[in-house]
Amino acid sequence: MLEVFSFGEAGWGDQLLQGLLVTIQLALTALPVGLVLGFAAAGASLSPYRWLRAIGTGYTTIMRGLPELLTLFVVYNGLGLLLNSIVSSWNPDARVELSSFVAGVIALGLVFGAFAGEVLRGAFQSLNKGQMEAGKAVGMRPTQVFFRIMLPQVWRFALPGLGNLWINLLKDTALVSVIALDDLMRMTQVAVRSTKQPFTFFLAACLIYWALCVISEIVLARLEKRANRGVRRA
Amino acid sequence: MDVFGVLAQFWPDLLSGVGITIKLAGLGAIIAGVLAPLLALVRVNGGPAAQVPLRFYISFMRGTPLLAQMFLIYYGSGQFRPFLQDIGLWNFFREPFNCALLAFVMNSTAYQTEILRGGIMGVPHGEIEAGKAVGMSYIMSLRRIVFPHAYRIAWPALGNEIILLVKASALASVVTVFDLMGQTRAIFQKTFDFSVYIWAAVLYLCLTAAFVWIWRRLEHRLSPHIHGKRPSLLGAMTKRETA
Amino acid sequence: MAEAVVLKAEDICKSFGSLEVLKGITLEARNHDVISILGSSGSGKSTFLRCLNMLDPPTSGKVSVHGEEIVVKNGHPTDMRQVERARQRLGMVFQQFNLWTHRTAIENVMEGPIHVLKQPKAEVKERAEALLVRVGLAERMNMYPSQLSGGQQQRVAIARALCMEPDAILFDEPTSALDPELVGEVLRVMQSLAAEGRTMIVVTHEMSFARDVSTEVVFMHKGKIAEQGPPKEMFGSPRTEVFQKFIADVR
Repeated sequence: MLEVFSFGEAGWGDQLLQGLLVTIQLALTALPVGLVLGFAAAGASLSPYRWLRAIGTGYTTIMRGLPELLTLFVVYNGLGLLLNSIVSSWNPDARVELSSFVAGVIALGLVFGAFAGEVLRGAFQSLNKGQMEAGKAVGMRPTQVFFRIMLPQVWRFALPGLGNLWINLLKDTALVSVIALDDLMRMTQVAVRSTKQPFTFFLAACLIYWALCVISEIVLARLEKRANRGVRRA
Repeated sequence: MDVFGVLAQFWPDLLSGVGITIKLAGLGAIIAGVLAPLLALVRVNGGPAAQVPLRFYISFMRGTPLLAQMFLIYYGSGQFRPFLQDIGLWNFFREPFNCALLAFVMNSTAYQTEILRGGIMGVPHGEIEAGKAVGMSYIMSLRRIVFPHAYRIAWPALGNEIILLVKASALASVVTVFDLMGQTRAIFQKTFDFSVYIWAAVLYLCLTAAFVWIWRRLEHRLSPHIHGKRPSLLGAMTKRETA
Repeated sequence: MAEAVVLKAEDICKSFGSLEVLKGITLEARNHDVISILGSSGSGKSTFLRCLNMLDPPTSGKVSVHGEEIVVKNGHPTDMRQVERARQRLGMVFQQFNLWTHRTAIENVMEGPIHVLKQPKAEVKERAEALLVRVGLAERMNMYPSQLSGGQQQRVAIARALCMEPDAILFDEPTSALDPELVGEVLRVMQSLAAEGRTMIVVTHEMSFARDVSTEVVFMHKGKIAEQGPPKEMFGSPRTEVFQKFIADVR
């Protein structure tokens, strides 16, 4: 029964593996995009300027209220249309296609960024003001205070929340199969179509995602332990 | 792109989509809401024979994409079609709506169970002892003390989970359920008018905003002791006099 | 003519794992008795009190309420119904009050009579209001525990115990968690209960209460009763060295 998962001609092992690599690639590419957006959103919503705060909270609130699938379609179709209208205003015959990978990275990054913005905002707000003043008092410049004192601690406060978001991101990559990216989910569907064993293959896909999440949890637990070095448990 | 033209032409479709979305998420939340307290009790008090499979179930549900779970039920059931036909369940699994709902129920049950477990563990031990001390039975102390208190603790997290379920219900469109997302995709494929996505976004935001509002109202009613809402002295007086 | 025995504990032993906390305690409470149990921390006095209503079932020994023995086998009561019946007749007031935080003061008081004793709501409400007035909380009946001071919470807890119309009330260090300035208001309520002839068993550190209010004083030391008797005798001429030292340390 397991030969359907073997590698080479006989089985679907290498196709699933390929899909898995695309899934991991997608998640790892969307992560930095999301983190940058998250820091930007947190910075905006903590800024002294009202309009910037409005943009920051507007982005995180709206994005968190929308289904991830809708965000994906909005990016895939909307951005595609937008790009085409820009390009065709220059050259009426040109056509551009937004690849599903790029659309996936943008959509997943936007979603991750909105949730990460909230996590990071909370983390910045729980920083101890006295330590920043101590940094200024020894003559650090604002950038030094940020990188040497604030960031390492924000990391500690934000890590559990960001870890959760990473796991959600891993699971959300499955959505991109809907816009025809050849990730694990879609390769599974391809295999199902030819083998007629939907339960076997979708269960296998589930088990692979599960393994990814469990491994992530273990790594995250280690990271958290490291980040909490020298902090006494309350 | 004709922002209001789409709405004028297709509002009945979008409205029926909203109806299906509410039905999916609402039924899913309610059925999971009935199962979760029982499983949460097992998580808190159960022996290892019940704990281990339950923990695997919860970990699986939380560690795999909901889309994959839904495919496993909807397409996967096809692999057992003769068997399901024999026991008369095939008609259930043939319907995409049922399969999507089942996936949402199973998924949300796992999350709600963990949320409620946290709530139950948050009930101060002394309050349960005080219940014992007036002679309450185990069942009665669950009914009068543990659960009322646990739900008040878990209320915001439960609300969050239901919002996630409203959003997740959009996945049902992938297995051809015509919920709000399904209608939206169908309209876009007919018209290629991007504004329909904007209307869908607005409708989803309205749905979640309305839910948040209702949930907060209920929370205030449930737990004035947490919000420090002091009943006015006048209220106290009139209450006393009517006795 | 001696009063009827409400509560009787015979040769109570209790161990937690290998730790032996109670080593054979025998005590009898008759109607209108006010028994103060004194002892340094770790003497087992709170554990003994919790054995009486089976919050911590004894490892061996017998507890009977109105002559009915609560059957305990291997450290577990065999019939929970019987335990529940016994608890309905024994009120308890805790050190940490243990009010139900999701219910108002009066709801806390009414909860037991309505839902455990199944008494009619209107009747219970009348009684609960009278009790809250009596403990000085007429103005605060509809407040939640979080809105009350420690002393007020403990008075609600006493009203909660009284509303069950118990045959005896167990007090587990009722003033130990209170700020010093709030102790008096709770002691005054307890004193008035004693004056009206309530049967009370009080684990306490309040010497004045033990000396002036109780009818009998029990001094526990290392899981045993070291000395026992009427307060006048006990405080007038303590017989054992440990009790002499205990009184001296407290003063």
